[in-house]
Order: sequence, then C-alpha cells, then structure tokens
Amino acid sequence: MNVNDKTLKALAASLNFRQMRQEVISSNIANADTPGYKAKRVDFEAALARALDVDGEMKMKTGDDEHFDVGSGGFDNLEPDIYEDSNGVVSEDGNTVDREQELAKMAENRILYDAAVQLLNKKIGLMKYTISNDR
Amino acid sequence: MDFLTSLKISSSGLAANRKRMGAISSNIANAQTTRTAEGGPYRKKEVVFGSEPARESFGEILEGELDEKAQSVHATEVISSNKPPVLKYEPNHPDANKDGYVAYPDINVMEEMADMISASRAYEANISAMNTSKSMAMKALELGRN
Repeated sequence: MNVNDKTLKALAASLNFRQMRQEVISSNIANADTPGYKAKRVDFEAALARALDVDGEMKMKTGDDEHFDVGSGGFDNLEPDIYEDSNGVVSEDGNTVDREQELAKMAENRILYDAAVQLLNKKIGLMKYTISNDR
Repeated sequence: MDFLTSLKISSSGLAANRKRMGAISSNIANAQTTRTAEGGPYRKKEVVFGSEPARESFGEILEGELDEKAQSVHATEVISSNKPPVLKYEPNHPDANKDGYVAYPDINVMEEMADMISASRAYEANISAMNTSKSMAMKALELGRN
C-alpha cells in the first residue's frame, strides 16, 4: 500500500471543500434578508473527479504522437468553482436566498462531511493495522 | 478558511436579527406613543441589513477569491419611517392639537408580529447553521482517533 495514495488526498481535499461549502451556506443563511444579496454555490465535485480520474477517461485526447497530455493538475491545483446561483427565485428586494433550500444543502453537506471523516478514519485504521506488529 | 469563519458569519446573522427584533419590540411597545424626545409621535424603526466580506485581518484579505463570496451580515443602519402619523379626534388628550386631533404613530401591530416571527425564524436558521459548523469541527477532531 502506498502511503501517499489518491484516496487520502481526495478525502482530505473533499473535507476542505465541504468546509468551504459550509462557510458559503452559512453566509447565504446569514444574508437571507439582505437586500440585493445573491445566493452563492461552491462546486468542487467536477474538479475533484478530474484530479482523481479513477478510470483514466478524463485524460486529454491527443491526435498526434508529438502531442502530449499535460495532466489534470493533480490535487495541488484544485480550484473549486464559486458562483452566484442563477436558478434562485428573486424576491422583491433582489435577494435570491431560499432559506429552506440552504438548510437542506447544509444537512447534506454535513452528512457527506461526516462520511468523509469516517472513511478517512477507516483508511488510517487500516494503515495503523499494517504497520503494527503485535499480532 | 476555517470553521471559525463560518461561526463568525452565523453569529453576525444572529446579531443582525437580534437588532431587528429590538426594533420590532420597540415598534410594538411604542405603537401608541404620542410624545418622544425628538418631539411628535413615535416613528416606526426599521433595520437595514447589508452584507460585507467575512474576513478581517490583512492576511485573510490577501487570501483571494472567497473574500467576496463568504459574507457576513450587518445591521448597517436603523431608519425611522417617514409615514405620516394617524390623526385621531381626542380633544381631551394633552397632546391634542388645536383642532382636537392627536397624532398617533402609524404602526400596524399585526405587521410587526409577522415581522417578529420572520426575524425569529431567521435567528433559528442561523443557530442551526452554527450548530452544523460546530458539529463538523468536532467531527474533524475525531480524525485518527481509533
């Protein structure tokens, strides 16, 4: 087992991004009554999938032998996409936050965060088991 | 970026809604007030919310894009409504004008109650955001503890 494998990196990156998403959702909820505020979203799943590239399908296609794949940038250059939600319903004061939707997204984000922590713990446990010699 | 930022954002939401609640209770309490320090009847108070970047320190400001994205909320100002007062004919009232009319503030108590419920729901939503941030931070402390 490689200590520096993709799983650990991907889980760590996903923890970071979920934390960022929590921050943005908190901001949306806090500003649910601020005139003109637009709800924000964090998108990182696509960037993470590109960095992970489990089945190699996201490689750059080359049409010539002298062309080469520049790679996905790996985990070091992961950039989440933060943008203003364009699907929101604009209320009369120009605000697009739907508080219930934000709370639902927050609950989902939290569950997935907890899941990632649990997976990381399993992974670390596995590593501990492999390096311990008391059998 | 850390959990303290999201806690800070949620607490700014709590503070702003508390202030709004304060203005609403003041409006309800003074719905019949005809005498104020500024003179004339009480005027309905309204709290204006504004958002601002959540980060404060120089390093945080340098940090980049998220600056404009995660924003805390602040009650930027409290405005007094310009609605004209309601005149009621009460010739025996000490504040009656020479025609016997008393100027009462134009406050609809039902409207204030509805605003109050909305403020308290907003407060609760911020509380639950705060609890979620907190429990995520606690969960992160469980990493590697097994």
